[in-house]
Amino acid sequence: MIGNISRPKTRSLHRSHVRRNRLAWLMMAIIVVSAYFFLAAGYFGGVDWPTLVDAVLRTTYRLAVAYGIAVIIGVSLALIVGWGPLIDFFFPVFDILQNLPSFALFPLFIYFFGLTDIMIILFAVSSIVWPILFAVLTAIRSAHKDLNDAATIFGATRLRRIGYYLAPLSFPAVLTGSIVGIAIGWESIIGAEIISTTNGFGSYIKNVDVAGVNPSAVAGALCILIIVFAVNRLVWAPLLLESGRRYAE
Amino acid sequence: MAANPSSTALVLSRVTAYFGDEKRGESAVLKDITFSVPTGAFVSIIGPSGSGKSTLMRVILGLMSASSGNIVRNFTKPAMVFQNYALFPWLSAIDNVAFGLKMQGMDRKERERIAREKLNQVGLTRLERHFPSALSGGQRQRVGLARALAISPDLLIMDEPFSNLDTITSEALKTDLLKIWRSYGMTILMVNHLIPDAIELSDAIHIMSSHPGRIEKTVSVRLPRPRDTRSPQFYAEVDALTEAIREIS
Repeated sequence: MIGNISRPKTRSLHRSHVRRNRLAWLMMAIIVVSAYFFLAAGYFGGVDWPTLVDAVLRTTYRLAVAYGIAVIIGVSLALIVGWGPLIDFFFPVFDILQNLPSFALFPLFIYFFGLTDIMIILFAVSSIVWPILFAVLTAIRSAHKDLNDAATIFGATRLRRIGYYLAPLSFPAVLTGSIVGIAIGWESIIGAEIISTTNGFGSYIKNVDVAGVNPSAVAGALCILIIVFAVNRLVWAPLLLESGRRYAE
Repeated sequence: MAANPSSTALVLSRVTAYFGDEKRGESAVLKDITFSVPTGAFVSIIGPSGSGKSTLMRVILGLMSASSGNIVRNFTKPAMVFQNYALFPWLSAIDNVAFGLKMQGMDRKERERIAREKLNQVGLTRLERHFPSALSGGQRQRVGLARALAISPDLLIMDEPFSNLDTITSEALKTDLLKIWRSYGMTILMVNHLIPDAIELSDAIHIMSSHPGRIEKTVSVRLPRPRDTRSPQFYAEVDALTEAIREIS
């Protein structure tokens, strides 16, 4: 009996995942093949690959560290304030703060931290943290009343409530918040690098040609695309599939 | 209705509750609720939608506070079965059942043994590793019942446990519930809106009216157990209760 009930859902989920997966790989194949043709045609002949790879890795490293800090801050803050009466005070405060344009605060970051790695990382944190924070807060606030009651009745109170109820409840929200946050994070870091001319992908493309399309800029964009694709396929896609499988209604 | 702490699991005396702020003139959702539940009895509360039955259960469990009145709770381990199951979607059936035991700090081996035993009692042994999304409504409700039984409750509150189930599943679950009630000897307080179900299962039935929710009448069911739901006496009880509800509404 259970086969009749469970398999169609699992199959449907699996089919849609396979479709999305195929489409993503197809897009990547088109990019790689195009890159190969450009390479074979000598289009990338003048690209300074060591400098480019170094710049891309620096930017990726900053993003990874900024994401790590943002996810810790965003999830912790949401879990702490999300289920108590404090949320009524903090929600509008967070809403105002997240609406401040990140780059408007950029001079403050430079003032306090100088033109350093830390400055760019913390600046990125200030952008990445909001989608994660709001996704988790929304998940906690929109949890069904009965599920909250069940957690309370069966003993998930105080700190146990965070660890055994709110944290797993928020898992899909952390995923979606992270995906949005990282997309914003790329923009923040590259933008900050362009403005501050700190080494990294942003300053690399500024140096090679800030206005026009040239082989070095195209090669850089391809490198970033490959990293984004790899992270998407190797990290987010499997986690989203698992989340969809477990959290389906 | 005299409250004797040794023989009553629960006594409510003139309990009134508001959803919003009483001082702002918001109307009461429960008004002067007075009744008691003898230890080991099966008591039902029936009434129309919106009469505050579920709110009353939340007040009894301390999930919502009463504005006035007294509640004597002669139970230490309450459990609840929910209308919409309220299973934790990220946990398998066995982990859902073991949730309350985990919150009590029981070690994994022991809690899984107990959870397996309870799943066996409700006929779901083979499905212990399935997630709720892979279970039918009836199977989910059985997991919900097993989760409640796992903590060996002395008061089991059931909020319309059969209303989302088809007739066949509901009949099977009622039979299992009566068996479990007899073997555990616990007190059961069930919210219901189906008159035949209330007559079949209960020792006493409290009839609620709405706006505000109040207990209008209490009916004792004196049919011998096991009850024959096709006997003239059973139909007579159903007719009498239907008439009582008509009079009230």
